[in-house]
Amino acid sequence: MGNGIEIGHFAALTALLVTLVQVFAALYGAQSRQPRWIRVARNSSFAACGLLTISSALLVAAFLNLDFSVLYVVKHASRDMPVFYLATAMWGGHEGSLLLWAWLLSLFIALAVWKHWKSHPVSMPWVMAISGALLIGFLLLVLFLSSPFERMIPARMDGRGLNPLLQDPGMALHPPFLYLGYVGFVVPYAFGMAALITGRVGEEWILATRRWALFAWGMLTTGIIFGANWAYYELGWGGYWAWDPVENASFMPWLTATAYMHSVMVQERTGTFKTWNLFLIITTFALSLLGTFLVRSGVLSSIHAFANDPGRGVYILIFMSILLIFSFGWLVKRGDALSTPVKMESFFCRESAFLFNNLFLLVAMITVLLGTLYPLAVETLSDAKVSVGAPYYNKVFVPLMLGLLLLMGIGPVIPWRRAGGRIFRTAFTIPLVVAIVLGIGIVLLFDVDHPYGVISVFLILFVAGALFKDFVMRIRQRRARESSTGTFAALFHLVRRNKRRYGGMITHLGILLMVMGFIGSGIFQEERNLLMEPGDTVSIGEWTLDLEAIEPVTGENWIATEARFNAQKGALSVLLKTQKRTYNEHSNPTTESAIHTSLMEDIYVVLGDEAGKGLWGVRIYRNPLVIWVWIGSLVMGVGVLLGLFEKRRLGSRR
Amino acid sequence: MTTPETPDTQETTPMTSNRKRWLMVGSLVAVLGALGLLVFTSFTDALVYFFTPTEIQDQSAKMADRKIRIGGMVQEGSLKRTSGTLQIRFLITDGQKDIPVFYDGVLPDLFREGQGVVAEGVWKPGETFIATTILAKHSEDYIPIEMSEEGIAKSKKSLLDSLK
Repeated sequence: MGNGIEIGHFAALTALLVTLVQVFAALYGAQSRQPRWIRVARNSSFAACGLLTISSALLVAAFLNLDFSVLYVVKHASRDMPVFYLATAMWGGHEGSLLLWAWLLSLFIALAVWKHWKSHPVSMPWVMAISGALLIGFLLLVLFLSSPFERMIPARMDGRGLNPLLQDPGMALHPPFLYLGYVGFVVPYAFGMAALITGRVGEEWILATRRWALFAWGMLTTGIIFGANWAYYELGWGGYWAWDPVENASFMPWLTATAYMHSVMVQERTGTFKTWNLFLIITTFALSLLGTFLVRSGVLSSIHAFANDPGRGVYILIFMSILLIFSFGWLVKRGDALSTPVKMESFFCRESAFLFNNLFLLVAMITVLLGTLYPLAVETLSDAKVSVGAPYYNKVFVPLMLGLLLLMGIGPVIPWRRAGGRIFRTAFTIPLVVAIVLGIGIVLLFDVDHPYGVISVFLILFVAGALFKDFVMRIRQRRARESSTGTFAALFHLVRRNKRRYGGMITHLGILLMVMGFIGSGIFQEERNLLMEPGDTVSIGEWTLDLEAIEPVTGENWIATEARFNAQKGALSVLLKTQKRTYNEHSNPTTESAIHTSLMEDIYVVLGDEAGKGLWGVRIYRNPLVIWVWIGSLVMGVGVLLGLFEKRRLGSRR
Repeated sequence: MTTPETPDTQETTPMTSNRKRWLMVGSLVAVLGALGLLVFTSFTDALVYFFTPTEIQDQSAKMADRKIRIGGMVQEGSLKRTSGTLQIRFLITDGQKDIPVFYDGVLPDLFREGQGVVAEGVWKPGETFIATTILAKHSEDYIPIEMSEEGIAKSKKSLLDSLK
C-alpha cells in the first residue's frame, strides 16, 4: 500500500508545469529568435514524456499490486483477474484511458521533436507550442476533472472487477491501438498548423509527416478491426459491425484520414489541393478528439448524467471549440497564399479519380456524423429521443462503397494530368471482358440474386483485373529493359523500388478482399430462429445441424449450459459447442457462440433461453465469406508495413 | 476547388478549357446531389423515435402503426411464455403506465424481469406492442441510451410500492 499513486499524481502535475514551460519557451523563442529558448522547449517535451511515463507506469503498478485503496483500481480490477487483464485494466475506464492518451501524446511529441529537430528548424517551435497546448488540455482534464489518482479511504478488500465480456485479448488491446491512431495524427496536424502559421504552405509538411500519417492510419485501422473481431467472436449476435455510436466514433476519423492519404498525393504531384489537405488533417484530428470524448465522457450512455456533470462536458466543448476556431481561423487567414491554379489537362486523369474518392469519403463521414450526433442534438434541444438505426447506414454505405471500389480500379492505373481514350482502352479492355465473363459465371454458379451482389461481383473482378493487368504490364516493361531478369525477380525489384506505390496496391487488394466479406456477410447472411430439443435437426444453406445434447458443464470460475451440435455438410462433419455461461461474481449470463469457419462461409450457433418442456431457443447464422474480412485486414497490414519502409521522398516531380 | 484557369495559350487538346471545367463542376455537382439525396431520404426514413409507456398511452392513436421504440422496466411477474414456442408476452412499465408487449424470437442475455429494456416495433392501439427487436445490452453497467435515470428510479419505486 505504498504511496506510488501519489508519486504518479505528482509526476503528472509536474508534467503539466513542464509542458507549460514547453509552450511558452517555444513561443518566446520563435518571437525573439533565440535558439536557446527553443532548446528549453525541446528538453521540456522530453521531460514531460518521461514524467508521464512514470505516472502511467505507477498507475499500472497500482493495478498489479492490487492496491484497493485507489478508487480507480477498485472500480476496474478484482483479485481473481489474470495479470494480463490487470495491466490492461489501466485503460478500462475513462480516467485511465485519458491518462494513456496524454502519455501517448507526450511520447509522440517527444519522438517528433527528436526526429525533426535538425530538418525542420523553422516549424519546430510552432510544432512544440501547438502539440504542447494540446497536451496541457488533456492533462488539465486528467488532473482536475477525471483523475485516476484518487484514493479510496478506507481501502476495500476486493474490487468490482472487469466485465467477463471484456476479458478478451482483442478487446484489451483495442483501445491502445485506436489511441495510437488518434494520437498519431497529432504530428501531421501540428506540422500542418506550423506550415499555416509560418506561411510556408508548400508540400514540406506533407512530405515530412507522410510516414507519421501512414502509421496513425494503420494503427487506427488495426484498432477498428480488433473491435469488430471482438464483437463477432464474443458478443454472439452474428455480426461484427452494428453502427453503434461507439464504433462510429472511431470510423469518422478513419474516413477523413483515408481521404487525406489519397489527396496528399495530388498535392505532391501537382501542387494543388493545398487548402483541402489542411482541411482534411484538421478535420481528422478534430474527429479523433471527438471520438475519444464521445466514447470516454459518458455522453453516449447517458446524456443526462453528462449534462449534470457540467465541469467535464463544458470543458470538452470549450476544448473542441478552441481547437476548431484556432485551426480553421488560420486556414481562412492564409487563404490567399493557398490558392493555386489548376493545371489539369483533361477531365480524365488520376486527379479526378482522387477528387471523387475524396468526395465519396467525405459524404461517408458526414453520413456517420449525422447519424451519430443528430440523436444527441435532438435530445439536448427538445428532450425527444430518437435513434438512427443500421438500415440508414447500410442504405447509404453500400452505394458509396461500390463507387469507391470502381474508383479504386481506375485511379491507380491511369496517369496524372491526362488519360486519353487509348490509355483507357489498353488498361481496361481486358479487365472488363474478364469481369463480365467470370462475373456471369460466378453469378450463375452461386445463384447471386441481389442487385448489389451482382454489381459487387463485377466490380471486385474488374478492380482485381485492372490491378493485376497493371502489375503484369510493369513487370513486362522491366523485363524488356533487362531481359535477363525472371518474372519474380522483376516483381521483387519493382516492389522494392517503389514501396509506397505497391504498399498502396497491396492495401487496395486487402480492401478488395474485405469488401468481398462485407457483401457476403452483409447481404447474403441467413438466419434461423427456432426452438429445439436434443434429437432435433435443422438445416441452413448446405448444412444440417443435429442437436445432440444440452447439459450443464463447469469451468474454472463459471458454470454453463452447453448445447452440442453435430454439423454436417456432405462428408464433412464438425462438432459445435455453444454455451450460456455464468461467471461466479456476475449474476448475468454471457453467450459463448460456436463458430465453424471456412473460406466460403461461417456457421455461427448461439444458445438462447429455455422455453419450457425441454425446448431451447437457438439462433443459427450462415455468414458467407466473413473470414475474408479478417484475411483482407491482414493483407492491408502488409501493405501499410511496406509503405512505412519507404524512406525515399517521392513526389515534387514538377 | 475551382481556381482561376491558367491562360489557354498552350491549349491544344480537343477539350477546351471551358468544356473541361463545365464537365468537372457538372459531374461533381451531379454526384454530390445524388449522394446528398441518398443520405437525406435514407436518414428521414430511418429515424426511430423513442417513447415511454405513459407517452404512448396518452397519445395512443398518434403512435399507431409506425416503427417506434419503447423503453422502461420489465414488470416483475408479468413475463409469460407460450410453452413450446419462442413467443413471449410481458409488460413494459415506466412506473406510471404500462404497455403489453409481444415478441417472438430469441432474447438477449440480459433480458430479465425488473431490468431495463428497450423494444423496437409497432404499437397496435388498445392491444399490444408487437416488438421486432429487443435491444441487447452489452454490459451489466449499461443502461439503454434512451432510458433516463429518473425513469428507472421512478419505475423501481413503483415496483416496490406494488409489492407492499
